[in-house]
Amino acid sequence: MLRNVFLKTLRDQRRSLLWWGIGLLALTSLTVATYPAVTDVPEGFDEFLEQLPEALARIFIGGFTDFTSPEGFLNTQLFVLVVPIMFVIFAVLGGSGAIAGEEGAGTLSLLLTSPLPRWRIVVQKFGAVAVATFTLALLLWVSLAIGAVAVDLDVSTLRLAAVSFSTALLGVAFGALALALGCITGARGTSAGAASGVAMAAYFLNALAPISDVTTPLQKLSPFYYFIGADPLTNGLNILHVSVLLGLTAVALGVALLAFERRDVRG
Amino acid sequence: MSTVIELDGLTKHYGSARGIAGVDLEVNEGEVFGFLGPNGAGKTTTIRLVLDLIRPSSGTARVFSLDARHDATLIHSRTGYMPGELALYDGLTGTEMLQYAANLRGGVDRGFVEELAERLDCDLSRPIRTLSTGNKHKVGLIHALMHRPELLILDEPTSGLDPIVQQEFHRMLDEVRAEGRTVFLSSHILPEVEAVCDRVGIIREGRLVTVLQVKALKESAVNDLEFHFAAEVPADEFASLPGVREVTVEGTVVRCTITGSVDAVVKAAARHEVLDVISHERDLEEVFLAYYTGESGDAA
Repeated sequence: MLRNVFLKTLRDQRRSLLWWGIGLLALTSLTVATYPAVTDVPEGFDEFLEQLPEALARIFIGGFTDFTSPEGFLNTQLFVLVVPIMFVIFAVLGGSGAIAGEEGAGTLSLLLTSPLPRWRIVVQKFGAVAVATFTLALLLWVSLAIGAVAVDLDVSTLRLAAVSFSTALLGVAFGALALALGCITGARGTSAGAASGVAMAAYFLNALAPISDVTTPLQKLSPFYYFIGADPLTNGLNILHVSVLLGLTAVALGVALLAFERRDVRG
Repeated sequence: MSTVIELDGLTKHYGSARGIAGVDLEVNEGEVFGFLGPNGAGKTTTIRLVLDLIRPSSGTARVFSLDARHDATLIHSRTGYMPGELALYDGLTGTEMLQYAANLRGGVDRGFVEELAERLDCDLSRPIRTLSTGNKHKVGLIHALMHRPELLILDEPTSGLDPIVQQEFHRMLDEVRAEGRTVFLSSHILPEVEAVCDRVGIIREGRLVTVLQVKALKESAVNDLEFHFAAEVPADEFASLPGVREVTVEGTVVRCTITGSVDAVVKAAARHEVLDVISHERDLEEVFLAYYTGESGDAA
């Protein structure tokens, strides 16, 4: 695990990945375990949800009004809020730590005076953050697929893979943003905080913009829209939306490379 | 003999007064060059510019005749660096840390790493977070030396090392020089520079004041000697001796400020019964002042 910067960065994330994995496993298994109880609820639960104030409903369960179908259940319980936020935070912590973390710890000087160009260090670190995030997504997919079989939750394994993949893409996009902010500022806390703030704003933009016809188009400015807007659990991956998330990631990575190439390094 | 480091008008402005201004310097192949100056004089700034960790406001730095900025990767592959504020990966052991660094360099001779560790009395099996400052320093030195670089850049390399290890390290530097490799080391400790360097560049407040042979530095060095005699001794016995700048007598205690060799004063003192001799550490600022007054004297 010490062969190169990529593997070393993955190694640094192994404990974090373990605990996030355990947390994610607990979340998915507990959630899926409540599914049989939900399907026993008397008819009318979906109607009840429809009567919630729209803003409240949109913040906590997205645009979904169907709570008892397998897809509606998983979307409202997991994929509207909790799971994407988990992935965003995980990737943001990794992205902000990648360069700015080493700079703060003072170890960046030694790394940069090894015979590696700066851009390769950034690319390898980004690769490690992306791989760790996708590993978490793989765990999400496998645990949901097994859980679905266990409680008779009738949902396509392939579509579960699609929504897990989409979640990872969202996380990686914000991880790349945090990496870029870290490459610009060299400050881990600042980059993690700012990237989380942007993620929060993006979440509310996606959730609340559709309330008024005037603001609806603004929804398309939010990366969250491209993660869940096309409902990948029901419809599979939307190539255009996937491309947008990949494009955002590429832009952030490009900014990270350019900024880091030019900057004076402190630690 | 070729030039290994070549600085031409190298300037780095920071917000306020820190940084360096117009540093011109050449370090030759096979020499141990000392970069001497008080803390905050710009030693670390210069080193970080040479290593492309920071970028100059103006001027250029060349290493092995390569551009410090555009050929940084090539330069780094032939250079060993020990930062002044050394930070290692706390979660790794010394061996793991060095293995990682070696992997990034495409491998190094492991036998040589073990030899260096043995000579510096450094336990590489312990996690770095459990090491004392001195022991971390040893790992940092091994890290700089292990790939037998053509150029060693060492920022305050011996701070935190105990004297015995320091001596061993100085022997290592002699070996590096004997192999025709080059050392550029910064220090704020005059005796250290005198002990290991061939030439010295003196930097103060961001400007290179002078570059001279260590021999010349010793000749102009200022010593304060304090003699405690058994009986009173007349001051004029010392005042007329070569190199003596100032003599004060307080009862049986005589204090002399001497430029250059202390030989005459010590021999004069030996004619009397000496109870104690105290040698005060020479002050770097005094050395600088000597050069400043020297400079203004030349100009006038």
